[in-house]
Amino acid sequence: MQEYLLLIRTEGNPWEMLSPEQLQKHVEKAADYIGRLVREEKLKGAQPLDWEGKIISNTAGTWKDGPYNESKEVIAGYFLVLAKDIEEATQLARANPIFEDGLKARIEVRPVKTVEGINR
Amino acid sequence: MSTFGRGNSDRLAEPSQIPALIDHLFRVESGKLVAVLTRIFGPHQLELAEDVVQDTLLEAMQTWHYKGIPQNPGAWLYTVAKNKSLNILRRDHYRKKFDADARHSAKTFSQELPDLDHFFSAEEIKDDLLRMMFVCCHPAISPDSQVSLILKTLCGFSIPEIAHAFLSTEENIHKRLVRARKKIREANLRFEMPGGDVLQQRLDAVLQAIYLLFNEGYSASSGDQLIRFELCEEAIRLAELLAGHPGIGNRSNVFALEALMLFNTSRFHARLDSLGKILSMAEQDRSLWNKSLIQKGIYYISKIENPETISVYHILAAISCHHCSSPDFASTDWKSILELYNNLILIDGSPVARLNRAIALSRVQGAPAALEELDKIKDDSFMASYYLFFATQAELFLETGQLERALGSYARAIELAPLRMEKELLEKKMSRFDASISGT
Repeated sequence: MQEYLLLIRTEGNPWEMLSPEQLQKHVEKAADYIGRLVREEKLKGAQPLDWEGKIISNTAGTWKDGPYNESKEVIAGYFLVLAKDIEEATQLARANPIFEDGLKARIEVRPVKTVEGINR
Repeated sequence: MSTFGRGNSDRLAEPSQIPALIDHLFRVESGKLVAVLTRIFGPHQLELAEDVVQDTLLEAMQTWHYKGIPQNPGAWLYTVAKNKSLNILRRDHYRKKFDADARHSAKTFSQELPDLDHFFSAEEIKDDLLRMMFVCCHPAISPDSQVSLILKTLCGFSIPEIAHAFLSTEENIHKRLVRARKKIREANLRFEMPGGDVLQQRLDAVLQAIYLLFNEGYSASSGDQLIRFELCEEAIRLAELLAGHPGIGNRSNVFALEALMLFNTSRFHARLDSLGKILSMAEQDRSLWNKSLIQKGIYYISKIENPETISVYHILAAISCHHCSSPDFASTDWKSILELYNNLILIDGSPVARLNRAIALSRVQGAPAALEELDKIKDDSFMASYYLFFATQAELFLETGQLERALGSYARAIELAPLRMEKELLEKKMSRFDASISGT
């Protein structure tokens, strides 16, 4: 078993135009999804991220900061999961209800590096 | 079990006891929150209240998507809505913009956190919902717009959902809401219940709006789907709020309307057969009538004590009660129902009321008497293009053995019927008597 980071990427808030009733249906699906991950002992962590923030860089010795990416896509949050391989991690990502009902999102699936004898 | 770090307010339940959200929780809480925030910000800031509530629900979505549903979802929503309201109140130093109540509570907000807690108590919320109803039914706002506004603010429906329910466009509904909010601003409404005589008048308007909403759900003006159960449920829920509040004056009409809606709704699921075709009252399987709704209806009837004036609601509720208490179509107490209709047409002499009376008349005095009645109203401009007039006429012609005339009336009814389902029902009836109509 290995840890994988599932980065949820969206352009803005995909749920913005949904009605209270529709939001509730999505919330219930999300609860089922998380419940399943917890039951199967595959969820190590998950957090939503605030929309605003900063990106800082230091080029040629000067600090530059700004809240935006070049693209409109933002990382909305992450799930840190346990899976036996990347195929399973990808399957877990596919099952995320953010993809339901035509909502637009991308999930980046990245293995957390392990080095024999150190963190493995 | 990994319980990754969470504060008290959003503790995830053990997976075996993940709280299930009750049906329509978000909608119901949305209604309550819009009412509370309208109290805090003032009716002229209704749109702001609606936006803050939508933001609150979105925040729930974004957070619970990763953290799961908290132990107390309602409290979570209230906390977030309250915090957002505080931020808005704090940000606007020109406090003139906001309602006197909130300003008073928030008067020291430059030094310490103002306490909005008492606004969010159950008692206050109930009162705010009622105040909201009266605001939505202000006479300056047209009845259709009143219903749209009620659905948007009190019932938590989105514009697309309202447009779908009324078979209208999102643009139209949006415009209606914009106009309604503008009327509210222009009227400088305070967020309070009207008093004295005005209260009774406004209450009538509120009941009319609720009844309009109910009929949208109950009857056939919405496209190919005959039944809009949810609209009926909302109407019943709103009337229940009114019924439970002693401070709104004479509640006799409220009880009557509630009873009427409960009786009619009890028959909901018996109205369609397994193929989705409409069944008439005579054909319905009465074992499918919802007994608990009928009981509730009877309970409300029993609460009506010597009304000062009999309203349309009282009479219609009594008629519906007769139907619901009858084990089958044949044993229906048509004599009493006819009596009630005789009283109804004294208050409501509309051709539709007289048409319904004619049906009852046919059961008591026979088809010829009823046909005479129909003759009296056939020239009314509405009746002349009302499919049910011709459908009723057709049935009565059949009963008196006038087949030709029956077929003529059926044909006219089919032509005029607005929904496919209704046309099909009529064609089915007609085809029994006319071999030249092949089942389409």
